[in-house]
Amino acid sequence: MAETLAASRCPRGRRLVVPPASRCPDHPVRMAAAGVAPLGEVVSFTTLHSPPEGFRAPLHIALVELEGGARLFCHGDETEGVKIGSHVSVEAVDAIVYFSHMGFADRARLFWRRAGARGERRASIGKSVVKGMWSRRSRGND
Amino acid sequence: MGDEDSQPGEVTLARPPGGVGPYARTGTELSGRADRDPPSPAGRGAHAPHANTLPRGPEAGWKGYVNDVWIGGAGMTRFGRRDEKLPDLMAEAALAAMADAGIDRPDAVVVAAMNPEEFTGEGNYGSLIATRLGLSHVPALRVETATSSGVAAVYMAFAAIAAGLHRSVLVVGGEKMTHLATPRVSEIIGRSIDPHEKSYGTTMPALAGLVTRAAMHRRGLTLREISQVAVKNHAHGARNPYAHFRDPVTLEAVMESRLVADPLRLYHCCPISDGGAALLLTVERRAVRIAGIGQGGDTLAVRYRRDLTSFRATQAAAAAAYRMAGFGAERVDVAEVHDAFTPFELISLEDTGLVPPGKAGRATLDGETAIGGRLPVNTSGGLKARGHPLAATGISQLVELCWQLTGRAEGRQVEAHVGLAQSIGGLATNNWVTLLEGRR
Repeated sequence: MAETLAASRCPRGRRLVVPPASRCPDHPVRMAAAGVAPLGEVVSFTTLHSPPEGFRAPLHIALVELEGGARLFCHGDETEGVKIGSHVSVEAVDAIVYFSHMGFADRARLFWRRAGARGERRASIGKSVVKGMWSRRSRGND
Repeated sequence: MGDEDSQPGEVTLARPPGGVGPYARTGTELSGRADRDPPSPAGRGAHAPHANTLPRGPEAGWKGYVNDVWIGGAGMTRFGRRDEKLPDLMAEAALAAMADAGIDRPDAVVVAAMNPEEFTGEGNYGSLIATRLGLSHVPALRVETATSSGVAAVYMAFAAIAAGLHRSVLVVGGEKMTHLATPRVSEIIGRSIDPHEKSYGTTMPALAGLVTRAAMHRRGLTLREISQVAVKNHAHGARNPYAHFRDPVTLEAVMESRLVADPLRLYHCCPISDGGAALLLTVERRAVRIAGIGQGGDTLAVRYRRDLTSFRATQAAAAAAYRMAGFGAERVDVAEVHDAFTPFELISLEDTGLVPPGKAGRATLDGETAIGGRLPVNTSGGLKARGHPLAATGISQLVELCWQLTGRAEGRQVEAHVGLAQSIGGLATNNWVTLLEGRR
């Protein structure tokens, strides 16, 4: 997994944006430089069948929410198997960010890192199981 | 600027830059007559702009405007593929509105055109249209807020009359698009998208596709529900001689039409249309009054929003319009909403409080929003069937409501005393809600 993505944070509202921007959209202040891990969840995605000039069809576009709340647009090779809430890693190639599915090992590593100290791991595992059951249940309603 | 992030309703001494005047009323501040606001949408406040601090409301001796504003006349062209040039389409609508009002010398002209420079190569549209109408001596200006430009122009005219600057103002909007190839039209409309997001190949349908998928996932909208909106609006359009599409469509045809931006299909999207629409606003007491009008904004960048599945700009606009009118959604009998993409009709019905959260899809399937239902929505056919000549659209919504409120909506007349129109600019960056009230 790659290094951090360049981002900006508003000193007043704490909003984090990617790519970096000089001004906050909510406050008339200059944003400070920040970095975010290139890992996140899919907020939504679409496949454009007649993309604008300069893009090949089908064009897979996803909106991904990174850790810390910044959202960014990404391209992908496919959306097969992608769901809202899917864990993805993102990587910038020639100024365009691409998303890709995280493998099991990546997800496990991420989970372990997030879980933090050993004492909290048990609670995290519990939370994860509940979350999994819940998302499976709500998906059934779609 | 030393204050921390202001919360809605919080009193601060720092006055926001430029946050005075009518625009201040449409912000996210929630002070004043809170009992008349629709339910505050969840999840707001995290990035709330500064609360405005100027006193307002009747208790502060400030009702918001001086004069009542009436719609003296309404007119529009048939929407669709038209051979006429844009100034001629606008003139056709404007002359109809002036004749309807019996006023041929308004004090001012406000013109709405989203992007005639690119679509037709002409500019300076205020003067161009005033001259075309034989009103070259009348002050004229042009207003633009992307796809909601028409209502922005209505608002300017409303403000001028409400403030006592003018006694009558002609508002006319229009767009000419069908002479260009679809990719070129998409590209021109796409210039209203955030430049970074546009650099990823996003178009309006792509952003609407993202919104739709998120709404289906989080709000439980179904493909059948968003498709039924198209069926209903085509059925309404078939009864409207001004509509672009006059043919009904079946649910199967909608659900099997080709994919544009997954999960959106062709029949979920409005067409590219030519047309013009006009209103003559006056301080004279007439049949229909503008009871409330409100504007709401949101970030140009969709990635900066916390919620994809409802539009903060609509919620803020609705709150402002209801506050000005002094009544809420419960009094609305008929509505025209911005169904550029059919799921937007469902989202808009909930954002304006016309339908309780999560119920718009069911209400549509049950026929509640069809002509003859509890709350007829888009009796004109909406953007979906009436058509969407960008800057004409917001005005044409009000034209339809005017006709409904005065018993002139031949072939599709409903029983109505209060009408609501909602217009979306860009991908819900600059939205408007207008309330019209017929005289009893």
